[in-house]
Amino acid sequence: MQLQYSSDGIHIPDVDLWLDPQVSKPTAWISHAHSDHARYFSKTVIGTSVSLEIYRMRWPEDVNQPQTLTPLNYGEAMDWNGARLTCLPAGHILGAAQLLIEFRGERLVYTGDLKLEAPLCGVKTQIVPCDQLIIESTFGLPIYHFLSCQEAREEIVGFAKECLDDGATPAFLGYPLGRGQEIVHALSKAGLPVAVHGAIAKYIPVYERHGYDFPGWMPYEARNVQGKALVVVPGMRRLLESSGKDIRVAYVSGWASLDNARLRANAEKLIPYSDHGSYAELIEMVEGTGARQVDVVHGYTDEFAGILRSRGIEAQAPAISRLRSAEEDAE
Amino acid sequence: MSGMDQLALVLERIANTSSRNRKIDLLATWMHELADADLGRAARFLSGEPVAGAAGGKLSVGHSILRESALAVIRIDIELFRICHREVGDTSETIGLLLRGKTICNPLSLESAEQGYLRLLSHRKTAGKVATLSALLEQMRPLTAKYFLKVITGNFRIGLQRKLVEEALAKATGAKLTAVRDASNRTGDLAQVAHSARHGSLETLEARLFHPMEFMLARPLDEIADLDDPENWYVEDKYDGIRSQVHFENGKVQIFTRGLADTSKSLPDIVEPFSRLGGKAVIDGELLAYRNGRALNFTVLQQRLARKVVSKDLIGEVPVVFVGYDLMYRNGQLLLDSPIEVRRKLLEDLFQGLSMPFLVSPQRPLVSHGDVEQSFLDARSRGNEGLLLKRKGSLYEAGKRSLNWCKVKRPYGTLDVVVTAAEQGTGRRATMLSDYTFAVRDGERYLNVGKAYSGLTDDEIRELTKLFRSISREKFGRVTVVEPQVVLEVAFDGVRKSPRHKSGYALRFPRIVRWRKDKTVAEIDGLARVKELYERSLA
Repeated sequence: MQLQYSSDGIHIPDVDLWLDPQVSKPTAWISHAHSDHARYFSKTVIGTSVSLEIYRMRWPEDVNQPQTLTPLNYGEAMDWNGARLTCLPAGHILGAAQLLIEFRGERLVYTGDLKLEAPLCGVKTQIVPCDQLIIESTFGLPIYHFLSCQEAREEIVGFAKECLDDGATPAFLGYPLGRGQEIVHALSKAGLPVAVHGAIAKYIPVYERHGYDFPGWMPYEARNVQGKALVVVPGMRRLLESSGKDIRVAYVSGWASLDNARLRANAEKLIPYSDHGSYAELIEMVEGTGARQVDVVHGYTDEFAGILRSRGIEAQAPAISRLRSAEEDAE
Repeated sequence: MSGMDQLALVLERIANTSSRNRKIDLLATWMHELADADLGRAARFLSGEPVAGAAGGKLSVGHSILRESALAVIRIDIELFRICHREVGDTSETIGLLLRGKTICNPLSLESAEQGYLRLLSHRKTAGKVATLSALLEQMRPLTAKYFLKVITGNFRIGLQRKLVEEALAKATGAKLTAVRDASNRTGDLAQVAHSARHGSLETLEARLFHPMEFMLARPLDEIADLDDPENWYVEDKYDGIRSQVHFENGKVQIFTRGLADTSKSLPDIVEPFSRLGGKAVIDGELLAYRNGRALNFTVLQQRLARKVVSKDLIGEVPVVFVGYDLMYRNGQLLLDSPIEVRRKLLEDLFQGLSMPFLVSPQRPLVSHGDVEQSFLDARSRGNEGLLLKRKGSLYEAGKRSLNWCKVKRPYGTLDVVVTAAEQGTGRRATMLSDYTFAVRDGERYLNVGKAYSGLTDDEIRELTKLFRSISREKFGRVTVVEPQVVLEVAFDGVRKSPRHKSGYALRFPRIVRWRKDKTVAEIDGLARVKELYERSLA
């Protein structure tokens, strides 16, 4: 299948479909609801119900830009301009999906942002055979190894308990959508008192509707942090640090694989857990699909494409500039 | 898991907490369980000595040997290794990460680790070192490899200072912390200290030369009147040089500075004369660039020490002297617990009859508060920084900022300047414009000479923030360029040449004394005044 890469996004002209376009287009597939993937007002937007629900929260209906939102959930398929589109889970965050496009006997998979292992809130990614694969490589170097979600849960809860035992206040910095809710989920399920910043708390009801519970969390209040584990957005750091309280920061991220993250994130505790796949997961994914041709679209694109070629896979890093939001691991 | 694996795990945990108590607990709990020989090894590894008496550098295993050995196990191409190293920033850590899934993960005891280090030491040739190291790495857990290598490269980068290891040792063995610290300070040998601490024999450890000992430090005296009993003190000049500790014995000489690094190599003109002195000693003093009976500007000395090749010309151009002011050890006797009078007498005896580059810092009893005032002015006129007051009968308190030594420093000068730009602060002052770039006048122009962060109250900063926003000319990110209106009085410790500012000068350690609401921009100091102060500092 022919693909066109530009700063607007990825376009498949044969079936006139845009994958995570950066501007309004006639038809967009949104792989998940992070704002660098789901943005502006394409006329027809296809995605999982969760992704569409959050997208609508972030980009409220605009009467001047009428839209049709078309849900396509895990395992469901639909026909589109002569192609068959099938939605598959992608692990990354709640509702994240891959898209399988079958057209004239060829199979193309677009992973969007991808985590192979099941995240703390979400499902395990499915690997499906295809001819052509478009994959991301946020952590496409062999130095990135992550904890499993069970290990991450233990580290998160363990650190919070340790700080609370010391009379200190543990603070987890998380982006509004994805990591933040997962941390709150882990802490609240362990029975710890958690205070959650509004930007993160806003999406908790969506998670609850999809079967994840958050027992006993409370909204973050600056005057009432003692004895609680805090889950707040990164921008709150300065405010917390200047509060005069003994705040201890944990950094839960794929970047926490490296010791230099301690300085860069100004955190004492590093918890290498990501909503993206580790290097090994990316390799497993690529090899599992058996794709003959792989396009690497995000992160260490040139390096990862080179690594794939050295493993005998035809791979390239198309020139594409995707906007980076402050909301994912690629901060 | 075996000893070295556990050490790696403990170090990884220590890196992940900022709580000093937790760090000490983690280390002490682990050390407590170790057998004697392993306790010694652990203490030694932690102080960056893979092999008894040899720092990691002695193994001659540098970055390229580390990389080559690792690549033999990891089997990726060197370009990919370079990319990974660039992201990680540390060779040992990069290797540890890349070894994941590539090694056999046999347990490694502390004894085997030591044998490994010895084997690396024994090979003279690179090929032998590489073959030895890759054979070792192939068997290790990746995390163990990371720390095994960090012992060689001597860089734990996890805030594990020597003091913390000493505390953990005390806790693990039940010995008194002060006894552990003293023994560590006089022997520099943590393995021996660990053993003696466990067996209650710390007092028997004799002082050893050629390892840096802790300096005694002085507290600043803000007001002369704060000194309640002037007649109980001695007074000396405080020099604007580099605090140094000279060790010598039978021709061998080493000079350690405050960072406790060995600077002997760049000072042949000091090392050579010391090598001709008899007996053995550890002297505390100051290195100064010095000509015609006066100390030269500190930056001159700093520039000389930065040079790798020390030519005769350079030595002639920037002569260096050593001003001795205390004696920590002499001929088999540690003097830290001897009163200042005894140490001073021995120091004077030692320097008796010696000529340049040896000087003894003149010392005399203080008479009165007025004496402090006059002495301070005299010291300044001699080109020195201020005064050091030492209490009569005091001991040498190594590693302490003691109340028995006081330093009297005063601002080098003050200037009235105008604020040209204001920058958003950080932390508590994140919402305010709290960092000010300021200028002096040069004809019609205003030329920046520095930037100051401190000295004003929050209320004043709030008021100024409002004012600056109203007279803003332009904004660049966090910096607001303002109309030159606000006059500040700033104090500073010196003037240096600076290519950074258009004026060509920068003030050293500027701080705001007060906001001169009473002054207009027409009344601020000019560039000529700054030049004059700079030249005075060179004179």
